[in-house]
Amino acid sequence: MATSTPQPGEDAGDIKAVPVRHYGRWAVAAVVLVVVASLVYSAANNDRFKWDIFGDYLFSDRVMRGLWLTMWLSVVATVIGVVLGTILAVMRLSTNPVLSTISLVYIWAFRGTPVLVQIFLWAFIGSIYPEITFGVPFGGPDLISSNSNDLIKPITAAILGLGLNFAAYQAEIVRAGLLSVDEGQVEAAKALGMTGANTMRRIVLPQAMRVIIPPTGNQAIDMLKTSSLVSVIAVSDLLYSVQLIYGQNYQQIPLLFVACFWYLLLTTIFTIGQYYLERHYAKGNLRELPQTPVQRARAMAASVRFGGTGNSI
Amino acid sequence: MRTPTLGAFAATAVMALAVTGCGSDDDDSTTTSASTGTTAAATATVNDAAVALLPAEVKSKGTLTVAADASYPPNEFFDKDGKTIIGLDPDLAQALGTALGLKMEVKNAGFDGIIAGLASGKYDLGMSSFTDNKEREKVVNFVTYLSAGTSFFVNAQKNPAITDLASLCGYKVAVEKGTVQLDDATAQSKKCGSKKLTVLPYPDQNGANQALASGRADVSMADSPVADYQVKLSNGQLKLAGTPYGTAPYGIAIPKNLDITKALQAALKGLITDGTYQKILDKWGLEKSAAIADPVINGAQD
Repeated sequence: MATSTPQPGEDAGDIKAVPVRHYGRWAVAAVVLVVVASLVYSAANNDRFKWDIFGDYLFSDRVMRGLWLTMWLSVVATVIGVVLGTILAVMRLSTNPVLSTISLVYIWAFRGTPVLVQIFLWAFIGSIYPEITFGVPFGGPDLISSNSNDLIKPITAAILGLGLNFAAYQAEIVRAGLLSVDEGQVEAAKALGMTGANTMRRIVLPQAMRVIIPPTGNQAIDMLKTSSLVSVIAVSDLLYSVQLIYGQNYQQIPLLFVACFWYLLLTTIFTIGQYYLERHYAKGNLRELPQTPVQRARAMAASVRFGGTGNSI
Repeated sequence: MRTPTLGAFAATAVMALAVTGCGSDDDDSTTTSASTGTTAAATATVNDAAVALLPAEVKSKGTLTVAADASYPPNEFFDKDGKTIIGLDPDLAQALGTALGLKMEVKNAGFDGIIAGLASGKYDLGMSSFTDNKEREKVVNFVTYLSAGTSFFVNAQKNPAITDLASLCGYKVAVEKGTVQLDDATAQSKKCGSKKLTVLPYPDQNGANQALASGRADVSMADSPVADYQVKLSNGQLKLAGTPYGTAPYGIAIPKNLDITKALQAALKGLITDGTYQKILDKWGLEKSAAIADPVINGAQD
């Protein structure tokens, strides 16, 4: 086709380009397909996986309750962590020595002790302070006094333990993002007469987000799994729910797969969210936004449709 | 298309995925309590009649791996060094080992992972205060060795009026997961109606005790020997309440495919006759009523 000499009267400029053939890709893809197919085949035909039990429990009430708890606990803890972490990062970079020291000590304490211990301490705070009292310190009159076990329910302890720990890590992520924004941006904002707070909100933070989002997504996905630590204070999240079930029926493997199935699904949803968030904040940096998977699939379908003519590149 | 080698590889890969991808909670801090050589176990002698009942492959292997969840004193718990597992069950395991001419290797394991571990061949015996019941007998065999009920114990300061299962309504109950007490409390909570019974399942008995001490829970339930011992150790913080219920046999859990039930039963009978058994029970402060006269195979009552 491409070798045929142009005849007189034909448009000599019409080059028939042929797309580059990626033989290596096809070979690797074929090998991967065979391996995956054999994995699926062996899993489907191995009775020891007990897929019937997997199916029985996948949507069972107790698993659904655990899934719901894991979902909202992770989201609440992540939101607390992100908000508090951002405040801590701004405090840490503040020129006010009191603010930056508070932030430093907070991060030191909450990042420096195991989150498991933090959850445990919040839950069993009644062992140390049976009553929690708000009032004038050093023996002054009490304003509000409450039994600490009523004030901090197990689920509150779980939120506090996970959220406050997340904030300490998040503070460092946000700080890294803020430092990544060129100083010229701040100078320019000052030259325009913007206040410090305004500069942070309108100029620095939006640009820092590009750096902040990926590790934050990482942390949020980690939180899905870390939240299973709340089992130590008898809060039944997804993992603990299946553990309690197999504590009764001894079907450990299929029930662990049930938990993994839901964790993977939640992680997928979180990852998709992160992708679009990243895309949103990339606006300031890229001339053209990367295609979304939907757009890419459409483009591929189009190229296959026209690929046969050899016109596409 | 699928070659046998590839299939084997695939199966291994899936297994690896199952282990690393999901994780399980049984920690494998291995300890051998053979070296501790307790006085009671030392008095046991080889029981030839029992040895004769052992299958040849067990004799030639010479070692049995015993799983115990070392969070349940005085039945099984860590010694002060944090490595050696001591208590009634390890002592009895060593005495049985001496009688059968086998080495007993006691390993720490998460309680709810033990039965699965027996089925998968990871452990040979489970001696971890297992109540012999019908549900468990579907998965493993048992040789009974003790008679234990469930006792209630409460925060001594709060001192709620607990007498029996029905009196739990309206209270918060802390129990260890995977235990019969969790099942009993859960069943009771469904009968309580408006006086809500909250069941708090903790991963181990330590968590349940902490919940009691901090006032998070009002009452805990555990096997009588364990409850007695916790209360003794708590320096007056905890106290026993009501009367124990549901006396049931403890059993040594044995995988269905391991033919050593008869040998263990014979060895245990020997220990009861020569007095070693009673010495071990006395050592860990168990009541006389806990002792049994005749070990049986699969003696579930319900």
